Amino acid sequence: MNGARWLAQALVAEGVETLFGYPGGTIMPFYDALHGTPALKHVLVRHEQGAAFAANGYARASGRVGVCVATSGPGASNLVTGIADAMLDSVPMVVITGQVPTTLMGTDAFQELDVFAMTLPMVKHSFIARSVDDLPTMVAEAFRLARSGRPGPVLIDLPKDVQMADAAHLPAHASLGRDPAEPPRDASLHEALALVSQAQRPVVYGGGGIVLGEAVQAFRTFVDATQIPTVLTLKGLGALPTAHPLNLGMLGMHGSRAANLAVQEADLLIVVGARFDDRATGKLAEFAPHARVVHMDIDAAEIGKLRHADAGVRGDIATTLTKLTLPCAAHLHGRHGPARKAWRAQCQQRARQWAARYDAPGEGVYAPALLKRLSELAPRATVACDVGQHQMWVAQHWRLSQPRAHLTSGGLGAMGFGLPAAMGAQIAFEECGDRGAQVICVSGDGSIMMNIQELATFKRYRLPVKIVLLDNQALGMVRQWQELFFEKRYSEIDLSDNPDFAAVAAAFGIQALHVDRAADVEAALQALLAADGPALLHVAIDTAANVWPLVPPNRCNAEMLDPDAARDADAATSPTKDATHALPA
Amino acid sequence: MRYQLDLTLRRAEGALARVLGTAERRGFQPLSVDGETQADGDRWHLRMTVEGQREPEGLQQQLAKLYDCLAVQVQPCA
Repeated sequence: MNGARWLAQALVAEGVETLFGYPGGTIMPFYDALHGTPALKHVLVRHEQGAAFAANGYARASGRVGVCVATSGPGASNLVTGIADAMLDSVPMVVITGQVPTTLMGTDAFQELDVFAMTLPMVKHSFIARSVDDLPTMVAEAFRLARSGRPGPVLIDLPKDVQMADAAHLPAHASLGRDPAEPPRDASLHEALALVSQAQRPVVYGGGGIVLGEAVQAFRTFVDATQIPTVLTLKGLGALPTAHPLNLGMLGMHGSRAANLAVQEADLLIVVGARFDDRATGKLAEFAPHARVVHMDIDAAEIGKLRHADAGVRGDIATTLTKLTLPCAAHLHGRHGPARKAWRAQCQQRARQWAARYDAPGEGVYAPALLKRLSELAPRATVACDVGQHQMWVAQHWRLSQPRAHLTSGGLGAMGFGLPAAMGAQIAFEECGDRGAQVICVSGDGSIMMNIQELATFKRYRLPVKIVLLDNQALGMVRQWQELFFEKRYSEIDLSDNPDFAAVAAAFGIQALHVDRAADVEAALQALLAADGPALLHVAIDTAANVWPLVPPNRCNAEMLDPDAARDADAATSPTKDATHALPA
Repeated sequence: MRYQLDLTLRRAEGALARVLGTAERRGFQPLSVDGETQADGDRWHLRMTVEGQREPEGLQQQLAKLYDCLAVQVQPCA
């Protein structure tokens, strides 16, 4: 029994069934140990970034700790983007990197890289095992930390000689599980309740912490009982079904008009597991200018970080919501009941008035309509996005009814996330016996090229992920910003020499379909979903298509650009009229 | 504004770098640092003076989240 074999058995004891990785020199003892550990399934990716994103997607979809493995040096550095993504989006991961032997550390040895130092700002914690005796504590703490409180990535750097050292004397691994979440203080609940009782125009602002805190049911009960209009962050999508009558949609830069205006006019924000991210708030000084704030979060450091909380409720979100639901619901018919009712009706009327339209003119494919339709055809699907315009279209138009079904790189905004994240999600479902689970990856022609090598992994493991590639032959979001904010000085966004994506997919053994006319979309989507095994639908869309609405950078969220709405006669009276007319010609 | 930080740290690899890096990334420049290993040999006692315009409570909360940070106090310098 050496350190590597002890570690492999410890992973099994932690409940790990799948790990994503790529072997190399300094991690070879661990890979050798996998031979004797059939309970661990290793997924061989084609680039270490794919391993990190796959573990990330696995964790997001399942709620379990995702594990990835790489060798030292370039193997470790290739993991970094996926680790950073997990840190910013609070994804539980344990990252294992090989390291040169302890005697060579600090000598600039072959493939020596100080990944421990490199990743200090982007991990919840990290360890270097200098001795095999360090392993029991480090491994147990790594998993406990990754999954407790606000989740995040933990790195274990593992020198080769430690992996090879005798570990026969070490005790069998004992998991520490997850720390119980601290309940909220009663005093903070009373402060929150006092603010709720005074509110006439309250809005619930829900974020990713709802799902992470396993508080979805408590959240839905709270919203239903209190009848308070609700907006969601990008990571909060799915906490409330898209079709819920109180769901005003996503707030922020590409948020819905109904959501942004409700927040701007609210007199109370009930913030649940959200962090006032700049993409959500726009110009912070002008965000929700009339609102007092109740802020619920498991992480004390988020409360008051960017916006003063009039009542900060630190602790387990599910417990907090459960304790507040009945007292808050009592105010539904209280002295502000009529005002609340009128406010709710106004919010809902705006949501109806400014609901997205899907009757775009022309014969070409209108991406929002395609995405909406696909989500209707696959209502139980999990969608993994890449980053760019297509990511925002998914956020705006995909019909979500369940949590953990929308996997998106929110904080880091990492192109290349989509394919491997979808891989991780599909494997997570298969691991729990749900072989019929549908995973769809929506990508763009820029993003997909960043990890397209993972098509080989889909083929190898027969992962039936369906890929929708929205191809506008450009880096669309950058192009849109250059159009709007850089006076159409387009710089390095042209991708018109893209490869033949259908041929690329075919070369990897992935069947491919193509569509470029709106009239053919329905049949193409049906064929994609009916395909056996992995399949790619290449969708040609207009290069000039933009994502609307859009709040310009450093502007107030009420200042939404939206030429579509400007053409709508009803919108002519909206408060955003001036901003709409400010759209560059 | 200048603040005095009084920290008790686990004497672990990376603990000092994490504290210094967190202070700098969160908007506080270290002006002075001194400290010593405590008698039990397992902990460091660290004193830092930092300067920054952001709310010191935010820095305290971020430092308190570090696994190796066992205690932290932040006070305005006299």
